[in-house]
Amino acid sequence: MNETKSPVNEAAVRTDEVWKIFRQEAGEVQAVRGVTLDIEVGEFVAMAGPSGSGKTTLLNLIGGLTRPTRGSVFVAGRDLGKLSSRQLARLRLEHLGFIFQAYNLLPVLTALENAEFPLLLRGVPETERHRVVHELFRKTGLEGLEDRRPGKLSGGQQQRVAVIRAVASAPALVLADEPTANLDSVASDALLDMMAGLNRDLGTTFVFATHDPRVMERAHRLIRLVDGSITSDEHNASRSGV
Amino acid sequence: MRFRVLVRLALRNLLRQARRSLLTATAMVLGGAVLMIALPLGDGTHEDWIDSAVRMGVGHLAIQAPGFRTSRKLADRLPADARAVAERALARPDIAPHIQNSAPQLAVDALASSSSTARPASVVAVEPVTQAEFSNLDEKVVEGRYLEADDRLAAYVGAGLAESLERKLGSRLVLTAQDVGGEIAGQLVRVVGVFRTGVPEIDASLIHIPLGTAGTWLGSGDDVTSIAVLLDSSRRVRSVRRELRAALEAGAESDGLTVIDWRQAMPELDAAVRVDDLGNYIFQFIMFSIIALGIVNTVLMSVMYRKREFGLLQALGLTPRQTGALVMSEGIIITTLSGLIGIGLGLFITWFFWRGGLDFSSLWSEEWSFSGVVMDPVIFPAFRAIRIVQSLVFILVVGVLASLYPAFRATRVDVAEAMKFER
Repeated sequence: MNETKSPVNEAAVRTDEVWKIFRQEAGEVQAVRGVTLDIEVGEFVAMAGPSGSGKTTLLNLIGGLTRPTRGSVFVAGRDLGKLSSRQLARLRLEHLGFIFQAYNLLPVLTALENAEFPLLLRGVPETERHRVVHELFRKTGLEGLEDRRPGKLSGGQQQRVAVIRAVASAPALVLADEPTANLDSVASDALLDMMAGLNRDLGTTFVFATHDPRVMERAHRLIRLVDGSITSDEHNASRSGV
Repeated sequence: MRFRVLVRLALRNLLRQARRSLLTATAMVLGGAVLMIALPLGDGTHEDWIDSAVRMGVGHLAIQAPGFRTSRKLADRLPADARAVAERALARPDIAPHIQNSAPQLAVDALASSSSTARPASVVAVEPVTQAEFSNLDEKVVEGRYLEADDRLAAYVGAGLAESLERKLGSRLVLTAQDVGGEIAGQLVRVVGVFRTGVPEIDASLIHIPLGTAGTWLGSGDDVTSIAVLLDSSRRVRSVRRELRAALEAGAESDGLTVIDWRQAMPELDAAVRVDDLGNYIFQFIMFSIIALGIVNTVLMSVMYRKREFGLLQALGLTPRQTGALVMSEGIIITTLSGLIGIGLGLFITWFFWRGGLDFSSLWSEEWSFSGVVMDPVIFPAFRAIRIVQSLVFILVVGVLASLYPAFRATRVDVAEAMKFER
């Protein structure tokens, strides 16, 4: 395996002068411009900025969903640029959880099957899968909805299933792209409570890309991006409303 | 584990897109059904051609002297001891059960003359009773009768030849050919029967005479040029030929014997069967190419429509190859299931024709012959288990090929772009 260890092994995420340039007919777009960033294990980080500031692209770079034009991204000590697509898939399966704005549940699977999908891919036995997922369904108020297809769930319920899917396999890092964008305030607070609890109890690292002031309010650390560059990076212990 | 997950997802996706799956499946069901109707009918037609041809007297197999097929000369005949070796081989317990009949024959090219004219003729000397059981030529009589056991100086003549020689029942004609010593020898025979097979080249040249008459005429005694063998099925030709060859080679005095099959004896019929098969295969290839294009289209549409889903699966930990495997699974599952249903439907439809056959007599009322065979307007399908296996494999290959490109496209999904796609 052709891998390079991050020089800072304790960091959950490290980016080193990362650029992402999209070449389009109208010209090139520099979505991320030379971002260098360390996120430590157990952090609860929000990346905020206006639309087009590059926060989703940076999240995708950290998740290995897209490759940088220049620079390096290290996750769990591994240089993503040196991993094959197969190794990247394995890293995502074993170390990462994703939460998307549009929920992105598989419509052909039930809520339970969606939630246990990463565990299924990891070969976890059925009884263990069901024990973990049922427990999370109970904690998030989704008990009794296990057999419903996504189309029969509300937006908040779908997003909670997506969160369960992201955290059920206890990943070290959860990347959440606008997770509360389509939720009302009650559902948003409930979801944030849930993620904050996981961060506190399991030490799971969360990185959000968000516009939502509620998320920014509860983050340990707020990174602001404008035009693909970090303009501020604030750590604030008082925001540990988590 | 992942394979089971992929298959489960593939099945759910097929059910989710029920209308699209149904359309794709219907094309394959129809294709499978046509395949399963066309192949048994084609095989049945060929069986009929072969059966008709071999019963004219050639047989599925013939034991001959090695040079006879090309020389057609009496010098390349089977003497009594070689004939005895051949008959012992045919009686072996591993061979005999597959032999329906065998008939010794002595074939010679001759000149048939009447008082007014002369024509080249193909004279086959036979044992009348054995030959009547072996061949269906006795059933083709239009005047008189076939040869009988105690016939001497009798001839059973093709209608075309009789007409051109201006001979009628009871008329005499003279056969002239080289005898075993190379001398020209003549033999007077009397027409006891006239036949019409419907094959002009046979009706215009073939004469059957008793083997005893030929032995005296040509000085060949009981020698023959060929022992024609009729098998219980034309599908056994290859295996029985192999066993017969082995049996003959095992005999010490078998140096002068060879076994040829109907393909060698009637290369034009063999070519006709192959050309007909080729035509069927080309038709099926074109039909399944069209079906495959339909499958490519629907599966590809499905892939384009489900970009977000494939992006999500890769974000969750599937490799691009596994994403492609999911698309392949969908293609293979739907083609296999619908192909099986199509094959079942085809067999069900074909089953109606197994007893009465498929009657094309309204399409051609007159006898139609080619390559020495009269075509029967009623076609009986021939059932072969191997055809089901071949059809299944073929359908599976079509399914795999049709899914390859869509699967490739699924592997090339840009995950980040795909996730943005549905925003």
